[in-house]
Amino acid sequence: MIKVEHLTKQYAATTALWDISFQVTRNEILGFLGPNGAGKSTTLKILTGYLAPTSGTAVVDGHDVFVNPKAVKKVIGYLPENVPLYTELRVDEYLGYRSALKEVPRNRRHKAIDSAIERCQLGDVRQRVIGQLSKGYRQRVGLADALLGDPKILILDEPTIGLDPNQIRQVRELIRELGRERTVILSSHILPEVEAVCSRVIIIHQGRLVSRGRPEDLRADLQGGGVTITVEVIDPGGAAQGAIEQVDGVTHVDSPDDSPDGYRTLVIKADPDPAVRERIFDAAVERGFKLTGLSSRGASLEDIFVQITTSEGDEPPAADGDAEGGAA
Amino acid sequence: MNIIVQLKREIYALFLSPIVYVMLIAATVINSGVFLAILDFLSNPQSGHVAVMQLMFGGTTFFYILLIVVSPLITMRLIAEEKHLGTLETLLTAPINEAQVVIAKYLAAVVFYIVLWLPTLAYPLILSRFSEIELGPVLAGYLGTVGMGMMFLAVNLFFSAVAKNQIVAALLSFGANMVLFIIGIFASISMAAAPDSLLNYMNLWAHMEDFGRGIVDTRYLVYYASIILFVLFCTVQALQARRWRG
Repeated sequence: MIKVEHLTKQYAATTALWDISFQVTRNEILGFLGPNGAGKSTTLKILTGYLAPTSGTAVVDGHDVFVNPKAVKKVIGYLPENVPLYTELRVDEYLGYRSALKEVPRNRRHKAIDSAIERCQLGDVRQRVIGQLSKGYRQRVGLADALLGDPKILILDEPTIGLDPNQIRQVRELIRELGRERTVILSSHILPEVEAVCSRVIIIHQGRLVSRGRPEDLRADLQGGGVTITVEVIDPGGAAQGAIEQVDGVTHVDSPDDSPDGYRTLVIKADPDPAVRERIFDAAVERGFKLTGLSSRGASLEDIFVQITTSEGDEPPAADGDAEGGAA
Repeated sequence: MNIIVQLKREIYALFLSPIVYVMLIAATVINSGVFLAILDFLSNPQSGHVAVMQLMFGGTTFFYILLIVVSPLITMRLIAEEKHLGTLETLLTAPINEAQVVIAKYLAAVVFYIVLWLPTLAYPLILSRFSEIELGPVLAGYLGTVGMGMMFLAVNLFFSAVAKNQIVAALLSFGANMVLFIIGIFASISMAAAPDSLLNYMNLWAHMEDFGRGIVDTRYLVYYASIILFVLFCTVQALQARRWRG
């Protein structure tokens, strides 16, 4: 559906993107993850034909973005970052204008607008002037605009930014639903969002593609090192830490807080084997300290993200000359 | 067909902005004042014999002031504001290209400019009740007014595309209009200029005098058309250059 090869975008002094290649297949939700200024928006702007790359190609639905931009624009519904809208128009006026511009046939325009308004829950503001709407509503107007004409591909740049938690949940739900019969690319710097919605993730940092894969796989890769188990114990004797260290499968025990009354929290690094938790419980029974809590958590995308982006940042980006990354 | 959709949207947007009504009223007040002043001047038995509408078209400096000031006000926000608000991105990622956007915006400006002059149609109508009016010079006068206005609008739209914001666009436009206007004045002042020198072809004042007398010199129209085409081409290029600069 989308094929990007060796995309590079250089501005006068900086390299915003360096040799990015990836593919998106039909009906996939791809998450584009990276810190602010990593080059996410630049990539999306190139895919939508708004920016031209310095080198490399992008093919969307069989059309080269630079050779046949109009064909590409017709299959893409795009929600730009910050959702620029004509604030002097009413919601339905705006969607009417946009559907005409997107060449939705006249007899289907009403239906297209109604369905976009319904999907984005804009029914009660459709007569209101956009300039008077809250950020959340504007975001949804932008989303409704992207849905007009039922495009095969949706490109959403930070679709949930500025929304309240309820709206974020609704929008994610909507994106998941849309992703069933459409190809969706969304960018975000919010990790749980990408983890919750996307079937595949690309992590981009300083203009380079640093990691890609399914969220689970990325996590499993990092989990080679094991899981983190947090236990809360009542341990006036101070035996717990030593006891747990001896449990089979435990690699390291840390005791971040140490209150005098014996309540302690221990952070345990262990092999990703569920039996380790049983053995910790057995050790507690055997050695006479009480477990009041035990939870285990795999590496989150956040861990991966932090690991990748900070270790990358430590190395000098010297390999490619002036590649400094992170353009505005 | 995208041009039509966009043109409708631009005209709608123009008439939604309050400054437009200020302009409409100001232009009408100035034109009415000029008209009354001309009538007054001609009622004086010592004045020579000149047709009223001929004086209306370029016979007074007010005509040029209106042209030079109003055109930047119409065009300043057309592209600069879209850049400022970021809506240029939503616009250009819809199935429409830079050239179509520029043409639609330009035509919207022209339509509005013509609307600005519509109230003055009342003057020849009023005059025709009291005396014989020659239709030719009136039509030629309007042709010149529209042609010259279209030239200014095209030039000013270009500045809206390259300027950072509306105000800068308006100031640059105003400066450019002054230059276009003053070039021709040099021709009138300098005795050296031969009657058919290049400077003379660019003498807007002389153009309007001819149009007002009913003379339609196609060289004048070609002059406007060449500037319009060249500048609109540059405007499209300026918008496309954004794709490389980001």
